[in-house]
Amino acid sequence: MKTNYLLPNKYKTIGWILFVLGIIIGIFLFFSDYESNALTIKVMSIHNDDAIFREENGFFKIIENSILDELAALAIIIGGLFVGFTKEKVEDEFIYKLRKDSLVWAIIFNYTILIFTIIFIYNFTFFDVLVFNMFTPLLFFIFRFNFLKHKSLNYEE
Amino acid sequence: MKNNIKVQRAIHDMTQADLAVAIGVSRQTINAMEKNKYVPSTLLALKIARLFKKSVEDIFSLEDE
Repeated sequence: MKTNYLLPNKYKTIGWILFVLGIIIGIFLFFSDYESNALTIKVMSIHNDDAIFREENGFFKIIENSILDELAALAIIIGGLFVGFTKEKVEDEFIYKLRKDSLVWAIIFNYTILIFTIIFIYNFTFFDVLVFNMFTPLLFFIFRFNFLKHKSLNYEE
Repeated sequence: MKNNIKVQRAIHDMTQADLAVAIGVSRQTINAMEKNKYVPSTLLALKIARLFKKSVEDIFSLEDE
């Protein structure tokens, strides 16, 4: 099966490492209420409109920020993309179909949950929903794809 | 659509893995086809037929609904 958007298979391992590492750091940050001060460095902010730290507001300012959460988010997203969009050892039309079906399923499932949470979750708790929702489409996709891949292996001869 | 890949495989004494390697697909694909969970592309059907030295209709056939 010819596909032009898939990375070579060797990226899969590094993808899994980044993905799992990102999730672990992410969960740690979530339970510490994002208040880690690790890795605080000066960063370039294109736009800042903070209600509390007003002196840092405005366009193109250099501000101080702990970049641990940014690193975790990038690790989950880049790792997740690597895991989901690298070639399998044997890449063929059925695997291609599984990947596409999983992607469709993940989008529908994700937005169904989002609709539910929009209706039933309010105030600052909804902020957590938004944070999770940055990653859940990829997460559901990877989970569904690997689940189907392994399920279609059982029962032989 | 149904197929008799499993029978052909038995005649040629091949495992799912052997057949997968012979036509260059994953074992998942062979398994899914045998369970009638996946309808292969024309290309793949032709490859299977050529491997078993049969016509495509000898292996794949339409099911009466």
